[in-house]
Amino acid sequence: MAENEMQELWEEEDTQKDKYLTFSLGTEFYGIEIKYVTEIVGMQPITEVPELPEYIRGIINLRGKIIPVMDVRLRFKKPAREYNDRTCIIVVDIRDISIGLIIDSVSEVLSIPEGDIVSPPEINKGHNNKYIKNIGKVGNDVKLILDCDKLLSDDVIDDLSNV
Amino acid sequence: MIAISDKSIHEPMLDIFIFETLKQIEQLEQLVICNEKSSCYTQNSINEIFRIMHTIKGSAAMMLFDNISALSHTIEDLFFFLREEKPKDIDCSGLSDLVLEGIDFIKIEIDKIKNGHESDGNSEDLSKKIRNFLSVLKNCENPLAISESEKQKQDMRTQYYISQDKNAAVSGKNVYKAILHFDEGCEMENIRAYSVIHNLRGIVKELQYIPENIMANDECVEVIRRDGFVIFMKTDLSYEEIEELLQQTVFLKELLLTRLDNAEAQEKFLIDKRIVLEKQETLTPKLQKEEAVVSSGQQQSLISVNVNKLDKLMDLVGEMVIAEAMVVQNPDLGGLELHNFQKAARQLEKITSELQDMVMSIRMLPISATFHKMHRIVRDMCKKLNKEVQLELIGEETEVDKNIIEHISDPLMHLIRNSIDHGIEASEERLEKGKPQSGTITLTAQNAGSDVLITIKDDGKGLNRERILGRANEHGLLSKPESEMHDKEVYSMIFLPGFSTKDNISEFSGRGVGMDVVVKNIEMVGGSVSVESTPGSSTTVTLKIPLTLAIIDGMNIKVGKSMYTIPTISIKESFRANERELIKDPNGNEMIMVRGQCYPILRLHERFKVETDIVNIHEGIIVMVENEEDSICIFADELVGEQQVVVKTLPAYIRNIRKIKGLAGCTLLGDGSISLILDIAGLADQQ
Amino acid sequence: MKRVLIVDDAAFMRASIKLMLERNGFEVVGEAENGLKGIECYKELKPDVVTMDITMPELGGIEALKTIREYDPEAKIIMVSAMGQEPMVMDAVVSGAKSFIVKPFKEKLVVQTLNKVLGL
Repeated sequence: MAENEMQELWEEEDTQKDKYLTFSLGTEFYGIEIKYVTEIVGMQPITEVPELPEYIRGIINLRGKIIPVMDVRLRFKKPAREYNDRTCIIVVDIRDISIGLIIDSVSEVLSIPEGDIVSPPEINKGHNNKYIKNIGKVGNDVKLILDCDKLLSDDVIDDLSNV
Repeated sequence: MIAISDKSIHEPMLDIFIFETLKQIEQLEQLVICNEKSSCYTQNSINEIFRIMHTIKGSAAMMLFDNISALSHTIEDLFFFLREEKPKDIDCSGLSDLVLEGIDFIKIEIDKIKNGHESDGNSEDLSKKIRNFLSVLKNCENPLAISESEKQKQDMRTQYYISQDKNAAVSGKNVYKAILHFDEGCEMENIRAYSVIHNLRGIVKELQYIPENIMANDECVEVIRRDGFVIFMKTDLSYEEIEELLQQTVFLKELLLTRLDNAEAQEKFLIDKRIVLEKQETLTPKLQKEEAVVSSGQQQSLISVNVNKLDKLMDLVGEMVIAEAMVVQNPDLGGLELHNFQKAARQLEKITSELQDMVMSIRMLPISATFHKMHRIVRDMCKKLNKEVQLELIGEETEVDKNIIEHISDPLMHLIRNSIDHGIEASEERLEKGKPQSGTITLTAQNAGSDVLITIKDDGKGLNRERILGRANEHGLLSKPESEMHDKEVYSMIFLPGFSTKDNISEFSGRGVGMDVVVKNIEMVGGSVSVESTPGSSTTVTLKIPLTLAIIDGMNIKVGKSMYTIPTISIKESFRANERELIKDPNGNEMIMVRGQCYPILRLHERFKVETDIVNIHEGIIVMVENEEDSICIFADELVGEQQVVVKTLPAYIRNIRKIKGLAGCTLLGDGSISLILDIAGLADQQ
Repeated sequence: MKRVLIVDDAAFMRASIKLMLERNGFEVVGEAENGLKGIECYKELKPDVVTMDITMPELGGIEALKTIREYDPEAKIIMVSAMGQEPMVMDAVVSGAKSFIVKPFKEKLVVQTLNKVLGL
């Protein structure tokens, strides 16, 4: 979905409740609460910054504002993929910290009412599950709803010791 | 009465409230400390303290911070008494302690408010202490002193009024009874009632009113609120005329005006009732004389500006610098002979530069306010630890960027507490050592190139090398054999996290929480901390802080696909070298000889793990940079060009992860790409 | 629009009153931080009404009130007082203040007072 269409969709709706921006990483679909998303941009030249965890690729210039970018694939310890023209950066703002999330491709903005949100299953306690807040059911599909707080704060200390 | 919070005035006024109240609190603190030193309170100071507390009481009440308002009220009352009665032999020290406690309470509450939290502190205990202090003073004072309310009662006369018109025989043909109710919340209903009477005087012939004792304050106010204010008057005026007159009363909720018939009228105004003329003068206040309080503080031509506007201005100037570069260095102009254009461009550069300097200077504030805050810290520490310490300030007019000042305050406080706690010895010990009884802490601020140096020097017992090494050993912090460590290196170990020799842990300096936090705070603004000591006589901590984070002259260099910027001020020279000139030291580190001196080489591509084809010395360029005493040679691919850059800090997210040594920030180049600004001190350090 | 002069030594109070008044259709033509400046401003600006704090440095509100009333017997001055200043407010009323408001006050009361005093 093109950036402009995305913007228009946001402007149409009055409320941001229960709305999620969905995107894909490989075969899985994830969702982020719209209230955290400030914009979506295409891939940009990234300036590398030394001594940071691998999944922090560096910083970009977003109309004069300097924003760090995180490769979500690497964050989720998935194999890295080369960036192409579908690769996007979702800029989120959490507790006054801005960061860009590099993802394979953006899907659409969906309304997922509370009733269709369930807790994540305890069974697959894989590494990634700690970043999943809950699961949204959309028809026959599931979208893994991200816990943005954890995404930004968790594990950084551990990862640093591996740097 | 339920106070409904008037939210709409709250928000816009909050900033002004905080700003003004903090200013006044600082003023107040200085007053108290000064007066305590000279061990008495001057009349002027008492007046001023009274006025400040009165003002804070008012504003806090407006903003619905009743805890602050109530506390201010008790202090105001205390100083009112001091002002009026001028008691002898006040316990100055006790008084100061109380006021300072009050100041601390208010500071804490304002801090909460500033950070968006609720002001939930309870000032009742402190208010009680202050009231007790006041009653002790009152008892000691002239026991014959008549209290306020008594004075008022004495001055009360009756409430009958007869017009001065000698024609008493003509006693007004109309008698009216008026009952006035005032609006809720208008306050001082008794005075409002008096106001009505005052306005009727001269217009009506005779007056009576209930309640009678207008000045009896509380009870009287209650009666008026409950039953209304009742007036009986005898006059020639018509009903409509009286009604119109009374309707002009402000805050009149309800007026019941009736004309009395003859029988009732007679009853009201029987001539054999004792009538005494009211003396207007008695109601003139003798108690709260207004004194012309001389305002302290020089009146300069100053205005206060919202900091956000200043920040925005700085940003705009920064963008202008970039835009100017993009015009003047535009690739379209390459190779053209543009004589007039160059002239105009130089003029533009000149003006832009001046504008820049001016905007930066607006944000610069003298560090004196921060320095003066330290007086209080010294005073408190001395009192608690029973030590004597003088605080000397040098260079307080030195100016520092506003943003930076905020980050210096806490570290300074901590360093001073530390000095007094661990550095300065107790008086007897000092005398035994032949030192002056009173210790001295000297705070200095001075400009040094593009930095400001702030030193905190105490003439205490200095740092103990053995103890520090011992402690470092305990914590496994030693990376080199002890014998190889210079004193300076040993001393700087006190800045390591978790470090603190056993006797450092005290109520004030904290459990090793101190020094490394100081360092972190200073590094956050791009500065550095170092310490020197002469065992037995002194310890000096030096804070080096960049003058401003804003705009610097930089040389852009390239390493692989990455761009870096070196502050021009650090560059000594640049040159091409070749492999033959390289030397390796015993540890395998590369060095180069330049005019007889040896300098370490720093390969940026290795340090920052950047991919580049240029790895041979002769293919790249060496830039010699200096940092205080040391110089190093940076090896990069090529020099790109010199330009002014706007310094931007690395994003908060990254800064929270770690402080990347060697990077001072980043900047946007003319083509929109990002260049990382090198921090020479940080690069040199890991040599 | 009615023109108002605000006299108070606290910047906060001046700003609060100004905010309240401007929101209700008044024009604040001047501010003064003590009685002396208040008198000067009055003579220069000739406002329709004045709000006057009582406790101020240099020259207090009561004195300034008296001086302004001497200069202009028609002057409409509203005193701004704190609780506990009853005797002074009395003095002000006797000296010609048209009315008074007591701190802390709500916007409604301020506006009501000014309107009444100005006969609006």
